[in-house]
Amino acid sequence: MDVLSLDLLVVALRLATPVAFVALGELFSERAGIINIGVEGSALAGALIAGIVAHYSGSAWLALAAAVGIGMLLGFIHAIWCVYLRANHVVAGAAVNILVAGLALFLTVLVWDWRGRSASVVSLDPWILVWLLLVLVVVAQVFLFRTRWGLRLRVVGEHPQAADTAGINVYRTRVAYSVLTGALCGLAGAFLVNNLGRFTAGMVGGRGFIGIAAMVVGNYKPIPAFLAAYLFGFVDALQMRLQDVIPSEISMMLPYVLTVIVLAGFLGKANVPAALGKPYIKEQG
Amino acid sequence: MRLLRELGIIGLSVSLGLGVGAIITAATGHSVPAVFRELALGAFSDVYRFANTLMRATPILFTSLSFLIAFRAGLFNIGAEGQLFIGGFFAAWAGFTFSLPPVLHLVVCLLFGAAVGGLWGFIPGWLRARRGANEFVTTMMLSYVAILLTQWFVSPGGPFHGGRMAARTVRIESTAELPRLLAGTQLSWGLLIAFIVALLVWYFLFRTPRGYELRAVGQRETAAEYGGVNVARTQILAMVLAGVLAGLGGAAEILGIHRGFTVGFSPGYGWDGIAGGLIARAHPIGAVFAALLMGALRAGGAGVDRAGVAPRDLVEVLQGLVILFVVAPELFRLVGRWRLRRRAHGRAQS
Repeated sequence: MDVLSLDLLVVALRLATPVAFVALGELFSERAGIINIGVEGSALAGALIAGIVAHYSGSAWLALAAAVGIGMLLGFIHAIWCVYLRANHVVAGAAVNILVAGLALFLTVLVWDWRGRSASVVSLDPWILVWLLLVLVVVAQVFLFRTRWGLRLRVVGEHPQAADTAGINVYRTRVAYSVLTGALCGLAGAFLVNNLGRFTAGMVGGRGFIGIAAMVVGNYKPIPAFLAAYLFGFVDALQMRLQDVIPSEISMMLPYVLTVIVLAGFLGKANVPAALGKPYIKEQG
Repeated sequence: MRLLRELGIIGLSVSLGLGVGAIITAATGHSVPAVFRELALGAFSDVYRFANTLMRATPILFTSLSFLIAFRAGLFNIGAEGQLFIGGFFAAWAGFTFSLPPVLHLVVCLLFGAAVGGLWGFIPGWLRARRGANEFVTTMMLSYVAILLTQWFVSPGGPFHGGRMAARTVRIESTAELPRLLAGTQLSWGLLIAFIVALLVWYFLFRTPRGYELRAVGQRETAAEYGGVNVARTQILAMVLAGVLAGLGGAAEILGIHRGFTVGFSPGYGWDGIAGGLIARAHPIGAVFAALLMGALRAGGAGVDRAGVAPRDLVEVLQGLVILFVVAPELFRLVGRWRLRRRAHGRAQS
């Protein structure tokens, strides 16, 4: 059997797509100063709603829009919790994950009478979303480092007081980019449903967390983050081929083990946004 | 006074979560009174159901303590689920591999589960302290690894497969069994172990120098360092203890209830621990009550399912909502401020 082939590289791109969407999403949040580990749940919510809307409406495009919408809603809730209610970012994200995990089982029972999976639903050509991703990665890179808006975003994450002094609304900026993060997570979820043609509760299966890892490995920059996500996609593709040779449980560990190894080796030189995870409290005049 | 206020806020948050849950219940076409009645009946209506609540609260108390001890050190252990699995498996392994006298065998098995769980906590702790790796990502990744590893161990074709068709090990020796606390139920002595461990965690955190250092690191890492605390070592210690607690929980669950390792033994107790630890505001004694609440929700959820008034997963939605409101401490303060301002505004107008 030919384990390494061009085909493998193509499969890897497909497997990397949801990870890269999440990585790109997390990048915007963290650049603005918000940690969002709820990306796992946001992607799952996107997939779930895409499945449900596709089931009832029969329109894969409407499903896509709904996935983006629910992602935005969760990103908004997360931002309100982090920015205004001053919740611990990791904890608020974990709450989103738990809530969506419950909803995924509950709603699949209600809609399809199966616990945690759907019937097959109409889907788009998943390559549409792969191409969209590639475009977005390049746009994000230019946006972040070549535009005034990108600079403002970076200042909010690095030095919110300075941003505030310069007349940038720190709170609104954080909320806005958190909503963008949610939208990208929704796209990750929609991709998974369009790729498989159905929803399953385990379909995100840690890819959200791996997306965070990819973003960290990519040093908070869009193109490197995409490349890191691609590496995970490649390992994921490789492990599927290896399932004939070694037990599937063992090969399935590969992406998770890789994440740990990579995080252990590269984080030392990461340029973490200085105000990441810290609430900004505007001085009362 | 502060405690009362805290308790009041937690109570309000829980009610608010359940309130939003009630709206979702109604919106999805279920009867709110019926669901909440069955929830309460399923958790408390007789001694067997209450035993069921306590049985489910047991592993949740262990994972809550696991979460909160890391949280006190400023770290996030969101991989308790995997630590539970790996601890449970190695407790079972010691249970069917060794032949030892009764009490000793049980103790050895519990220690095995705790030790391997501790190892599973040590890795992310070490990676965080020495390599700067994000512990909330690594604990999660290692959790998947632990679950897959134990799944492989007991799968048909795996090295420790002992069931005919089911993915489980052979039964542990009777000398390794944790006895039942109440005949005719699955409630085991694990509950008492969990209570004792909660007291020990409280004692450690609030009455020992090491525990003080751990909390100091959690509050202000740099200040603790200037104060002479070895931050890296303390972080590693916190993660090892987190792993030990979850591993012990897995061991107690396997030795007390299933008497052999089976992959389906946890419906997500590791995740419940995050909820439990948060609702308890990271206090070990509070965790006892938070675990009881979570256990009651799980047991009650089974009742809701049995009565056919709603799918049992509705309970997980309720749980998620409760957590969401519990973790927003500013919510009520914000509402309070807003009311004050409105009152002041009203006075100015009149």
